[in-house]
Amino acid sequence: MSPRRASAAGAAAALLSLAACSNNPYPPADDTLKVRYSALPGPPKTLDPAVSYSALEHKITANVYETLLEYDYLKRPYTLMPGLARSLPEPRSLGGGRVAYRFELREGLLFQDDEAFALGGAGRTTREVEAADVAFELMRIADPQVTSPVGSTFAKIEGFRDFSARLEELRRQEEGFADLRIDRQYERAGGIAGLRVRGPHQLELVLSEPYPQLLYWFAMPFTAPVPWEAVAYYDGQEGRDFFKDHPVGVGPFKITEYEKHFRIVLERNDNWYGIQHPEWRAPGAIYPSEGTPEDAAAGLLDPSYRGRPLPFLDRIEYRIEKETIPYFNKFLQGYYDASGIIRESFDVVIHEGDLSPEMAALGMRLEKAVDPDVHYLGFNMNDPVVGTPAGEKGRKLRQAMSLAVDVQEYKRIFTNGRGVPAQSPIPPGIFGYDPDYVNPFSQLDLERGRELLSEAGYEGGIDPTTGKPLHLTFDLGDPSTRARLTYAFFVNAWRQLGLDVVLAATTYNQFRDKVNRGAYQIFSWGWIADYPDPENFLFLLWGPMAESESGGPNTANFNDPRYNELFLAMKDRENDARRLEIIRELLGILEQERPWIELLHRESYSLIQPWLRNVKPAGLSLPASKYQDVDAGRRAALRARWNDPVVWPAYALGVAAVALVVPGILTFLRERQ
Amino acid sequence: MLAYVIRRLAYGFVTVLGVLLLLFVLFFLYATPVEMARRAVGEKAPPEVLQQWVANHGYDKPRLWNAESPSDTLLFEHFRRMLTFDFGRSDADDTPIVDHLRQRVGPSLVLTIPLFVIGLGVSISASLFVAYFRETYIDRTGVVLAVLGMSISILLYIIGGQYLIGKLLRWFPISGFDPAPAMIARFMALPLLIGLFSGLGESVRFYRTVFIEETSRDYVRTARAKGCGDGRIMARHVLRNAMIPILTRVVVAIPFLFIGSLLLESFFGIPGLGSMTVDAIHGNDFAVLRVMVFIGALFFILGQIATDVSYTLADPRVRLE
Repeated sequence: MSPRRASAAGAAAALLSLAACSNNPYPPADDTLKVRYSALPGPPKTLDPAVSYSALEHKITANVYETLLEYDYLKRPYTLMPGLARSLPEPRSLGGGRVAYRFELREGLLFQDDEAFALGGAGRTTREVEAADVAFELMRIADPQVTSPVGSTFAKIEGFRDFSARLEELRRQEEGFADLRIDRQYERAGGIAGLRVRGPHQLELVLSEPYPQLLYWFAMPFTAPVPWEAVAYYDGQEGRDFFKDHPVGVGPFKITEYEKHFRIVLERNDNWYGIQHPEWRAPGAIYPSEGTPEDAAAGLLDPSYRGRPLPFLDRIEYRIEKETIPYFNKFLQGYYDASGIIRESFDVVIHEGDLSPEMAALGMRLEKAVDPDVHYLGFNMNDPVVGTPAGEKGRKLRQAMSLAVDVQEYKRIFTNGRGVPAQSPIPPGIFGYDPDYVNPFSQLDLERGRELLSEAGYEGGIDPTTGKPLHLTFDLGDPSTRARLTYAFFVNAWRQLGLDVVLAATTYNQFRDKVNRGAYQIFSWGWIADYPDPENFLFLLWGPMAESESGGPNTANFNDPRYNELFLAMKDRENDARRLEIIRELLGILEQERPWIELLHRESYSLIQPWLRNVKPAGLSLPASKYQDVDAGRRAALRARWNDPVVWPAYALGVAAVALVVPGILTFLRERQ
Repeated sequence: MLAYVIRRLAYGFVTVLGVLLLLFVLFFLYATPVEMARRAVGEKAPPEVLQQWVANHGYDKPRLWNAESPSDTLLFEHFRRMLTFDFGRSDADDTPIVDHLRQRVGPSLVLTIPLFVIGLGVSISASLFVAYFRETYIDRTGVVLAVLGMSISILLYIIGGQYLIGKLLRWFPISGFDPAPAMIARFMALPLLIGLFSGLGESVRFYRTVFIEETSRDYVRTARAKGCGDGRIMARHVLRNAMIPILTRVVVAIPFLFIGSLLLESFFGIPGLGSMTVDAIHGNDFAVLRVMVFIGALFFILGQIATDVSYTLADPRVRLE
């Protein structure tokens, strides 16, 4: 080998050994920066705020698309506060059930810098946010081509559906219409009648019926202001991105790198009003000063943060981690700032409901939060055996089956003890939740269950028409072994009553097909709140939402006239005593009728690294990153301590290989001689 | 040979048509478009939004026959798109599938090409080595290790390798990807090592058998009698004469380098075509799956033809007629 080659090989080996020296997945130069490292379980499908409807995507869009209203970061129950709007709008009755809301936007708000703004004038990189940008986004939700999943929610705005129809008609009938710039198409279609831009910063919405929950939707990215320039410019043509991959918003962060299959980088947006105008002391731009005693105990009301302008981070980095084990191991090495707890490591991390001594010694914290959701088993109320057609007999059967389910045991076995046993559809933290309420049919009582079964005409679980145990089917949309094992728990519980329940595990598509055809008896489902209002849970059992008839989310097809009537009386009321009274009556109906066997409100456990500050777990998608902070120095020191490479096994392996092979070669050659 | 290649291509075309028909049956008759829409738009989407998605993606056409316009059917559209390589858009995220292929073939090749080249080099060298020392304890240990290696699931290699090398020894990142020149070697080291080790047992055992068969032939004894050195015999004579079985394995594998590695890419977070296929399976992205199966079939047919042609290059006695 020539000296030149040898030196090249040496350099290559040195480079390789350098590369081999570290398990740090980030460039060393980033160690001292205030970067928040997070993982996503998969790439976002879309970051178009009109379309994106998953918690994964909202983690990003909530930071990029600031909304007119926001939730207070610390207060619970969740409380709305102004964001880009100056104040929370009050409903104004227009008579005939019509209601108007007027939003007033702050003046001087700027979009993030982006080349798309050159469409509005050469050299422009940003512009002021106007009420028309919110109206534009609402028109996008109405646009059939956008396929927004929340169109029906906003259909209460007068003229919303008409606008959709006109737009579709014009695109079909008029040649060249579909090629017009998007804002011109909307203009030609006449806009939405109930959406009135009253000035550069005033937007009025007229609803055809009262809908107080509307305000919650203005705290979600669906309704964030979007510049028409971005939608028009990012069309996927001539090397430009698609708008769904190139968000342009008013939030505290902007996307600077979008390699959605492995890395997404957000950096501080210097145009954000909190940075441009700290003197406004806007509630969404300063760290809160009020919270609960628990918040104070958790260090969330640290005087060094209270009232300070946001954000604290320079950058947020998301890495895609599809597999949970590598993700969790990287968290343990200090390369992610927070993590859930994977099933495989639960016993190592948690001891008797608290952090294990090993984890606590690393300085980690455990945050627990009950999610605003409900998981349940449901009966198809159209079924002749378990549903309404069976009358009293069916009701007693459902009651008996409910009494056979031991939710505490289910929780112990399948959720590592996490979760709050659900007594009704309404989870903690939502108006109408009563911590003292005990649903008599949500308690294990096999004796009473057998009595009820006997009263229903199924003595010992025997169907008198066949002389055999009553045969029922539990339809699953997941054929995995794990799902079968989980749901076998309920089958075994009902077997104690003498019932013969069979698991019909199919693919998700086949299951959905059964639901559409109404060909199912028992199923398992869950619901996560869109917004913190009991209406968002109780509508899941409202008759007109029945899935088999209308395709709505009432998969149980529950249709009780009294419930339907009470629901209508409850849904638009303020959170007053009368509303609480109605909710109690609604829950009383569900208690007796048992269209659902409520199981759990899930409880999330999060592990937080010692250098991450101001983390308050939230079940709703909130723009939390602007409140969080990292101590980069402490992180770098701990990472270095936790990740010192162990190199001796490499040498040992090399020596062992030589020791194994060399004597053999020598013997062979000697024998050959 | 040209006539042979043209004939094989014609057979291949017929096979591709069969694959396309099978794909249509599997993907269009198995899942309803509404369910695909539900996966794409979200579980909470109301029925009218699902219908709109179906219409926007052209899945509302008649499946097999349209009396008014015979070409306006899903079947015709499926064949037309695939045969003209107009793959359309992903069902999951609406991105043109060609863009997906373009973006994700690079990360796949970053993994598969070194894995293929190094793997081939190491396994042939190791096989020549154990074949040379046949019936010594080196050979027997090699065979035992090879059988042991090929008996272990690649999943165990991956999880064990990540745990041992990434977590306990902390030599390389456990997973991840960064195309920056300063970072790429760091991320690729562990998947390459694991990919190499997991495939080594099976390859060494196969090549060893081939080489041992060759080393017992007369020409080897003759070469040795003429004073030819052992290294020269193994490298120049045995290896060259063993090329036909080697080519049978190797050439057909080359096109599949572009498709990537399903498991390695998924577990190591490498955003290649393999992990794209796994994502498409999990996410019911049938548009992407159809394309990947179609490309897989095409590559297989092309690989077979290339293998036949390569025989003539390796062995002048082979004639393709």
